[in-house]
Amino acid sequence: MSYLGSIFSGFKTLLTGLGITGKEIGGKSVTELYPHVEPELPEAFRSVIQLVRFEESGSHDCVACMQCVKICPSTCITIEGGKIEGIKGKRASEFEIDFALCSLCGLCIDTCPTDTLEWANIYDDAGQEREWVYDLLKPHEAFEEQYLTTRRAIEAKEAAEKAAKKAAVAKAKAEKAASEAASQEASPEKSDTTSEADS
Amino acid sequence: MNPHPAPALERAHDDETYYLNMGPQHPSMHGVLRLLLRLRGELILECDPVIGYAHRAHEKMAENRSWIQFLPNTSRIDYLSGMIYNLGYCQAVEKMASIEVPVRAQAIRVIVSELNRIQSHLLWFGTFLLDIGGITPFLYCFDDREKILSILERVTGSRLTYSYGRFGGVSQDIDDVFIEQTRSFLTRMRKQAPMYHQLVHENVIFRKRCEGVGVISREVAHDYGITGPTLRAIGVDYDVRRAEPYSGYEQYDFEIPTRTGGDCLARFEVRIEEMEQSCRIIEQALDALPDGPVKPAKFIKKLKPPAGEFYFAVESARGHFGMHMVSDGGDVPSKIKLRTPSFSLLSSMSEVLEGTMVADTIAILGSVDVVLPEIDR
Repeated sequence: MSYLGSIFSGFKTLLTGLGITGKEIGGKSVTELYPHVEPELPEAFRSVIQLVRFEESGSHDCVACMQCVKICPSTCITIEGGKIEGIKGKRASEFEIDFALCSLCGLCIDTCPTDTLEWANIYDDAGQEREWVYDLLKPHEAFEEQYLTTRRAIEAKEAAEKAAKKAAVAKAKAEKAASEAASQEASPEKSDTTSEADS
Repeated sequence: MNPHPAPALERAHDDETYYLNMGPQHPSMHGVLRLLLRLRGELILECDPVIGYAHRAHEKMAENRSWIQFLPNTSRIDYLSGMIYNLGYCQAVEKMASIEVPVRAQAIRVIVSELNRIQSHLLWFGTFLLDIGGITPFLYCFDDREKILSILERVTGSRLTYSYGRFGGVSQDIDDVFIEQTRSFLTRMRKQAPMYHQLVHENVIFRKRCEGVGVISREVAHDYGITGPTLRAIGVDYDVRRAEPYSGYEQYDFEIPTRTGGDCLARFEVRIEEMEQSCRIIEQALDALPDGPVKPAKFIKKLKPPAGEFYFAVESARGHFGMHMVSDGGDVPSKIKLRTPSFSLLSSMSEVLEGTMVADTIAILGSVDVVLPEIDR
């Protein structure tokens, strides 16, 4: 290409670029003015984990099984738990996560046997210390007493029902034994009908 | 005084030559890389890449945790194509432990991997041009890239370090909104492509900076084990997706773009065409998306692959990413050796940069697209 020709074609390409930029100036702005505009968080958004508050029970369902502690690659979860007077199974008494260590992989959520872990939607938290610990039980403290009361009531009721059932069974057994004893004295046809009813 | 001088420093040098440290904190350096250059005027006589500034001991970490606990690490090896690395690791372990993957999960893996590849190439496109002096394209392509990140964030919950894969599938199913968003992105991407072409490819400054610059010969590529778009720009149509198909890549119809120049321009063109091919793959995968589960009914957390050695490779945005795994039959890996493409690319730089100008270093390094955390691991 000649010297002048290359100058001409060079200018042409530069002007094409300028033209595209010129067109875009009139376009819609795509910048999100972050601190002033709240970002729309997707449902799957990952931040710190939190304990689900189930509607039926009114609280979380952490049974301190330690599955999430075992699978966590960053070892950032601390759980303590034990038996509580009046209810069956274990219950977490301490659930802390050091968010400074968390790598947000979600393995704890996937491994939870009671599905009581989920992502929280915190995107603008900041700390000034190295330790960045979230106490996951804190939001549930207010409901804990209520939960335990209901749970105890339910379990007491269940126990009572069970006891009643057991008593009923024992009673039926006793009655059956009594009727069998009576039928031995009675005619053989009558004993046949009782065995049919039993089956 | 540096207590550990690089080898080149110890060599005898005459009065005409001098040393220049490019990096580790250089504005146009990709991550924390230090290039030790021996110069005569503007001419590079020797180049010695010094790495290790972003070393995080991923391979050692793998030996101290169970197979599934290594999952979040894989996205962080190469943070720009974290999805491909993450799913690649899952597939390697699945093959090792013979875990069946549902067909829907396989298709989803292909879709998100290709989206990730486009995203990585878009970022490379922007930063490469930024390196050689064009600010405008960077702004446009980051707008496009943002669309992909939003799409992926919706299903994975994360923008870069996805941890989306699970042994035997993926952590979440995709929905109709995802499919619709992806389709509209593909339309947008195809509309943008001619604009990028006009804006960059025909630009006289860009061509002067790239044409015939940083030619990598076949011999160098062979010696250093260069793969990916850089190898395809030399004219070798090697692509793991075609050579050893995984995750159902054999079902999709796509081309492997090649060039013969081996220079910066050829690498540029190969990557631009690759984005279009990725679009094609995504389209086909979306059209033929099967129904069904995306992960096994029971979450696989404990895994004991049979004892032995195993190699598995995927095509990352930068080339052949291989994992050599050694299992002793326990639930902790004996060894996971990661073979990353950028390491080969950067190693070859000592040979490629010899005899070029300082200003071209930026263009060459930018065009081969190295990611430092992936080199240091």
